[in-house]
Amino acid sequence: MAARTEPYPLAWDRGRFASWLTTVDHKRIGILYIVTSLVFFMAGGVLALLMRAQLATPDADVVTRDGYNQLFTMHGTTMVFLVVVPIFAGFANFLVPLMIGARDMAFPRLNAFSYWLFLLGGLVLYASWFVDGGAPSSGWTAYPPNSVYAQGDGQDLWILSLHILSLASLAGAINFIVTIHNMRTRGMTWMRLPLFVWTIEVYAALLVIVLPALSAGLTLLLLDRQGWTHFFVPSEGGDAILFQHVFWFFGHPEVYIMILPAMGIVSEVIPVFSRKPIFGYKAIALSTVAIGFYSLLLWGHHMFTVGLPTWMLGFFMVSSMIIAVPTGVKIFNWLATTWRGNLILDTAMLFSLGFIAVFTVGGLSGIFVAAFPFDWQVHDTYFIVAHLHYVLFGGSMFGIFAGLYYWWPKMFGRLLGERLGKWHFWLTFVGFNLAFFPQHMLGMLGMPRRVYTYRDDDLWTTYNLISTIGSFIMGLGILVFVVNVIRTRRRGTRAGNDPWVADTLEWYTSSPPPHHNFDSVPYVTSARPLRDLRRRLREAETGRNGSTRPAAIARPPAPETTS
Amino acid sequence: MAGGGGFTPVEPSSPSAEAIADIYYLLAGVAGFVFLLVTVPLVLFIFRFRSRGRSRDVEGPQIRGHNRLELAWTALPVLILVVIATFVFYKLPGLTGVENASGGADLEVRVEGRRFYWQYEYPNGVIAIDTLRLPVDRVVRFEVTAPDSDVNHSFWVPAIGGKLDAIPGETTHTSVRPDRTGVFEGVCAELCGIQHAVMLARIEVVPRASFDRWLSAEARKQETGDSRLGENTFTGACAKCHGMQAEGLIGPPLAGNALLNDKQGLEEVVRNGRGAMPAVGEDWGPRQFDALFGYMRKRYGGAGGS
Repeated sequence: MAARTEPYPLAWDRGRFASWLTTVDHKRIGILYIVTSLVFFMAGGVLALLMRAQLATPDADVVTRDGYNQLFTMHGTTMVFLVVVPIFAGFANFLVPLMIGARDMAFPRLNAFSYWLFLLGGLVLYASWFVDGGAPSSGWTAYPPNSVYAQGDGQDLWILSLHILSLASLAGAINFIVTIHNMRTRGMTWMRLPLFVWTIEVYAALLVIVLPALSAGLTLLLLDRQGWTHFFVPSEGGDAILFQHVFWFFGHPEVYIMILPAMGIVSEVIPVFSRKPIFGYKAIALSTVAIGFYSLLLWGHHMFTVGLPTWMLGFFMVSSMIIAVPTGVKIFNWLATTWRGNLILDTAMLFSLGFIAVFTVGGLSGIFVAAFPFDWQVHDTYFIVAHLHYVLFGGSMFGIFAGLYYWWPKMFGRLLGERLGKWHFWLTFVGFNLAFFPQHMLGMLGMPRRVYTYRDDDLWTTYNLISTIGSFIMGLGILVFVVNVIRTRRRGTRAGNDPWVADTLEWYTSSPPPHHNFDSVPYVTSARPLRDLRRRLREAETGRNGSTRPAAIARPPAPETTS
Repeated sequence: MAGGGGFTPVEPSSPSAEAIADIYYLLAGVAGFVFLLVTVPLVLFIFRFRSRGRSRDVEGPQIRGHNRLELAWTALPVLILVVIATFVFYKLPGLTGVENASGGADLEVRVEGRRFYWQYEYPNGVIAIDTLRLPVDRVVRFEVTAPDSDVNHSFWVPAIGGKLDAIPGETTHTSVRPDRTGVFEGVCAELCGIQHAVMLARIEVVPRASFDRWLSAEARKQETGDSRLGENTFTGACAKCHGMQAEGLIGPPLAGNALLNDKQGLEEVVRNGRGAMPAVGEDWGPRQFDALFGYMRKRYGGAGGS
């Protein structure tokens, strides 16, 4: 039979836009995920600034009462479901196959499907602004019976959107697990796996375990609203607390789903910018697994005030505290990694070091609220708002920014500007602490969360004003980032394969990588295959070890013009 | 109290709040220590080991780990956490065992969270709204709940003690013994809807004798209809959505409203709710409803009154 000529790619999907719509390439899907998440991040940030504007003074009229409730509901839902979780899916999509030396994800089409579902879910959520009754207003936790009685269609769209997003995450998570288990290149044993891939493995496993609980809870909630059931309606014999158990069985592991990959990013950046190996690779990898496991056992610490029996309070306090142990191991190991290093303080490193400082505060306030009698005081107050932002902004977002600065050259071939990057970091770091540290004090003083107005008292007003000023400084920092992205696109420095002299396989290929990723993948002999290559190359050049053939190693992969 | 600026708990006015404050101080001490343990080396290392223009090719020593060191910083947090957990359990009897310590409660108050006000009921049937009056140095047992058709709330007055959720269909209880007279501000701490922000709670702790006098006098007045129950019910339950002068806010104006001449019609609305309005008075007794109706008619009934 004559050689068959494939009419691929078809003419219509070779276009500049169409090629993105039809792509099943993990790198493009990863970029789509990241860009979409960043757009939602801007939207969620604007909602946050509106809230801070309303709270700058005790009796402001920036937004309506109902409008305020919609703002914090949409802000929370956006940041959790449309920003942090999917942006990590984006990083993972782009990086996991490259880091493990694979050609693509295990199921490329399922991969594209998860992205488009994610986008659909986001659009459904934002469509709720335009329906009867406007956006949902029961908070991102949507506790019944309040959420059952909520009027208008916003709450139903919220449920629909989360259902869609759960499916997207579930499909993505299964894809990551299959890819990591089956597609590692020769020599890449579990103990040679990049630490970021370890965190994605646990991220994906947790998603697979807990998303069904969320879906079940959402379905029951929807039936209560639209059907004739009364699972959560006490006046008809339902149980209002049941939803909280179901939601937090999902919701607490979700917190670790949102922080573990950030820890993975930091674990990649710190050694490369310290010019040292990571201190205690095994401990960091295993602490990731430990955190994932224990995160399944401590949902009750969100419910210390519902009247749980004392033995349960004690159990959830202890299980919550245990998680501080593997977390502490990571923090001390990162610190030890910097010891006696050659610390190159580029923006990616600044965000990683900032992560250590700020996340430590969030972790410590976590110990405060794990001690349930103290939680009885600060539960549902601004202390919690401060705590969760120290973890999710100071942790997750700092990690995400570190990752963006670190891998941007690999994704787009150009380095993000360092000068603007430093402005971005310092504005964000200072603004963040101004915005959120005073909120601890507000919570101690008695300010509950989710309120559009507060007591007209000197201290309360001062702290709130400082917080608002800080939030706008953060906003400025994010604007600097946007400017940086635009400038880099036009005239950023070209990166070359490996601008950071890094350790992992993604830096072996060109920037951006060709469609097929690698022409050849070196046999992996340690957790730092690229450093091994450099060493062997140097040894070969100086003639100390003639057994390796420099020509084969030194040859750069053929650059290919994609995107 | 303002003295701590929010860095310390609100000045405790009961042994339970005191015990929680003690736990806070232990936690704050430990957290301060650990914070320094992390940030001091972090800053020192950044300063000491920063690149200073060294090339990327200059590597640090290739240290891959150190088992004993890693074991040490695994064990240290474990020890700290054991200390914290032990201290919490050591303090717990003083927190939750207020009743046991004094052989039962002196006073039992039913606390009901409703959209968007607090209704308190004393054992002798006296009803109070938003502001709860308590005797000093007596053990008070709170039965915290919400009507079946309502939503979740959370009752919290920081100076008196920790919060407890008011959940429809559940009754939770806690006991406190206020040990200082004064007025203590509190809030609803669980999102309950559009006016969650103004659902405030307040506890007035007064000397025992004046409390006893007030309670029995109030019981008589509520019986005869001379009390301010009507006004308090209006301010707590109605005004937050219809305006302090009944001029209309989220809900329509009530001043001069035809319903003020239609007792049955008004009762129908407050008992069942209407549209976005919750059934605020679903289980008000006739005494409370009459007091409210009387007050509103007198104050806002206008010319059309018959």
